[in-house]
Amino acid sequence: MSKMIDIIVDSKTYTAKEGSLLIDLLIKEKIKVPYFCYHESLGADGNCRMCMVEIEGQKRPQIACDTLIKEHMEVRSTGKNIEKIRTDILELELINHPVDCPVCDQAGECSLQEFYMDYGLHNAKVIIQDKVKHTKHVDLGSNVILDQERCVLCARCTRFTDKITGTHELGIIGRGDHARVTTMPGRKLDNPYAMNVVDLCPVGALTSKDFRFSQRVWFLQTVNSICHGCAKGCNIFIDHNKMKYQDDVIYRFRPRRNDDVNGFFMCDEGRLSYKQLQENRQETTLLNGKEITEDEAIQEAKELIQRYKDTISVVIDANLYSEEMEAILTFAKEINASVYSPLDVYVDESFKDDMLKSANRAANYKTIGILNIDTNKPKSNGLIINFNHPQEFKADSHINFFTHKCDRDDLVFPIAVFSENSGTLKNEDGIVQKCEKAVSRNIPIPTIIESLIKISL
Amino acid sequence: MKTCKIVSRKFHLENSHTLEVAKVHGAYNTLEKMEVYSSLEIIEIIKESNLRGKGGGGSPAGDKWVLMPQNSDNPSFLVVNCDESEPGTFKDRQIISKDPHLLIEGILITCFAIKAKHAYIYIRGEYKQFQDILQSAIDEAYKDGLLDNCDITIHRGAGAYICGEKSALLESMEGKRGHPRLKPKQKEPEWFFDHPALVNNVETIASVPFIIQNGANAYKAFGTKQSPGTLLFAMSGHVNKPGVYEAEYGTPMMEYIEYFGGGIKNAKKLKAVIPGGASSAILTAEEASTVTLDYETMRSMGSSLGTGGMIVMDEDTCMVSALKNLLEFYHEESCGQCTPCREGTGWTDKLVGKIVNKEGTKEDIDKLLDIADTMNGKTICVFAPAVATVITSFLSKFRDEFEAAL
Repeated sequence: MSKMIDIIVDSKTYTAKEGSLLIDLLIKEKIKVPYFCYHESLGADGNCRMCMVEIEGQKRPQIACDTLIKEHMEVRSTGKNIEKIRTDILELELINHPVDCPVCDQAGECSLQEFYMDYGLHNAKVIIQDKVKHTKHVDLGSNVILDQERCVLCARCTRFTDKITGTHELGIIGRGDHARVTTMPGRKLDNPYAMNVVDLCPVGALTSKDFRFSQRVWFLQTVNSICHGCAKGCNIFIDHNKMKYQDDVIYRFRPRRNDDVNGFFMCDEGRLSYKQLQENRQETTLLNGKEITEDEAIQEAKELIQRYKDTISVVIDANLYSEEMEAILTFAKEINASVYSPLDVYVDESFKDDMLKSANRAANYKTIGILNIDTNKPKSNGLIINFNHPQEFKADSHINFFTHKCDRDDLVFPIAVFSENSGTLKNEDGIVQKCEKAVSRNIPIPTIIESLIKISL
Repeated sequence: MKTCKIVSRKFHLENSHTLEVAKVHGAYNTLEKMEVYSSLEIIEIIKESNLRGKGGGGSPAGDKWVLMPQNSDNPSFLVVNCDESEPGTFKDRQIISKDPHLLIEGILITCFAIKAKHAYIYIRGEYKQFQDILQSAIDEAYKDGLLDNCDITIHRGAGAYICGEKSALLESMEGKRGHPRLKPKQKEPEWFFDHPALVNNVETIASVPFIIQNGANAYKAFGTKQSPGTLLFAMSGHVNKPGVYEAEYGTPMMEYIEYFGGGIKNAKKLKAVIPGGASSAILTAEEASTVTLDYETMRSMGSSLGTGGMIVMDEDTCMVSALKNLLEFYHEESCGQCTPCREGTGWTDKLVGKIVNKEGTKEDIDKLLDIADTMNGKTICVFAPAVATVITSFLSKFRDEFEAAL
């Protein structure tokens, strides 16, 4: 076990693990240090040379990403000398950069822009015609577009395919200022986690074909949520925006760091699952395929519950929030219904891998077990009340609460998807995680709890 | 001029590269010593001789040898660096083409000392014809049973200058891009596929048989106290007889140029000498007349002995063009890993290009020095600092020429 020791950074004392990386401490303590190539998931590479600090007793400035914390270490991260070095290296980083920020999708979340505002602010000394030219539009595959001119060659993307996925599709070819990222000859970037390179890229070199040009990032609002793609429960950011006169729209999911669950990444399938949340939605109440008013539907539901008294089964989707499941249980008790949640339908062994993807494709199946809900199929019944469970079960009559359009007869109530509601989930490892409400629709779709209140009254 | 032939002893012989000729002239006699000495004793002799690495750095070879594990199940390797790409340097190719058996003999002793069973020779891709000679010598040695206990494999590089840097060389041998590795935090051997490896220059290894055969003191009889022994100094540029001539360390530079090189071509005046391959600071004629060829003197002059490959320039040489020529090389050869080097080599090349084309301004000269400062000491390997030294030495010693070219 390495011991905790005190070190001094800019005249302030901090406690850190002996032998840990200095840059980790600087990042953790929010001490300003510019860097491109370092990433906590990929380790030090030491190529960008931006994270220079001065260390007492060392003749030359050192890169923080390759400096191990030692006892009695004294570090200076500010001062004229170190700032000049950062400015000079940043100027070199920019001499062959196309500075096409106005048409670059990364603008607003670009490390080059941030560091330029912190350390640069110099005038361009190389005119655009004299800059090294590369290919501006390379379709790498897996929704990733490469602009080689914007690249700072930090090698995060190549290290990701080498160290994290082990698929080695990306590499750097050429030397000196002709070096560029590309795929191996005849290969495409093709792995289930490929789009993480877009998040890893500190500049606008790698952008997402799915997201690019759809929104300026500074218009986006971000909330914390959990991916519902499988039981892993990868932590995500939901980036959404409600443009004037339009509805609130989700533009992308991004992985949110959680070392206990997903680390820094998420799979592409989960990342793109936001689309499905806003397509083909059930928005109105239906009876046998015909639109009816909500009041009529409530009336119909109440009558059905009365008519099939004692022969009612309730079926619950294992993706619902725990709070919703509990509310459904209370409701079921009130109407004396038995509750089921068949889980077989969620198991997909072909989806599973040894990184993040789980074969259990239900975000909250753990809670089904904790609430002692029967996971068998409902027995033949008079009435089945289905809360978004994907299977259809035989019964005399049905009341369906559906998020998405589903070609079924009987009574259908629309319900909100997870991004339109807040709640908690328990992932397959038993970790309870909270989702915040992201989207507020112009015409809101009621949540399960709101609908239940109306029917119960 | 004291003649000294430690490495170049057999160079003048006809068919010196063949086993037959080499054996007649004493090759592989040292192998008997492996019965006499233990591996640790051999390392001790090398340390005692203060044999210095002859690939450019000049650090004592023995210091690296002692880092190799003596009792380990993990196999160790010897890697001989023959990626001779420093402009102005062409000494190692003399060894592998004129006396390859001396190198093989050195490899066998070194492998014995560091307990390695396999040696690799990393050779630059352009040395195909020399590689063929070396390979035929290795084949002969295999046939003769000399390599029964130690394998030698030639690994051919693809022609990148940076692969002469030992960690980039190992990356290249591992099948990766030739990018230098981050420096280790403590003294440790190099690593080849996670196995300890010793990387030495061809001439360093070729010097080993003499030292083991004749003892450390015989080697120290040559050269200076701190730089003992000899080096295959090379000479190119405006001299009458360019070539490779072995001389002891501490030889006055001008004496060397006069004696071996036959003086400056066309009886011109000397203007400058780049003393140790392109990457060392240029010396003016005045400085050249005072220096001796050893590591310490060169360092005190703000330059370095490097590989000992001297580039001699006469009074008609345009220093701006000379610098442009060198920077084109560095621009081409920067591996592109670290930002200051990747972008700095290109930018300085373009700026000096502007000055050559009479489009330069005073600001360009200041900017050149500024970029050189950013490149110095802020990168993983010493490529960028070397370029910075080249730029600053040219600009400080011949500034008037650059200003006149504006």
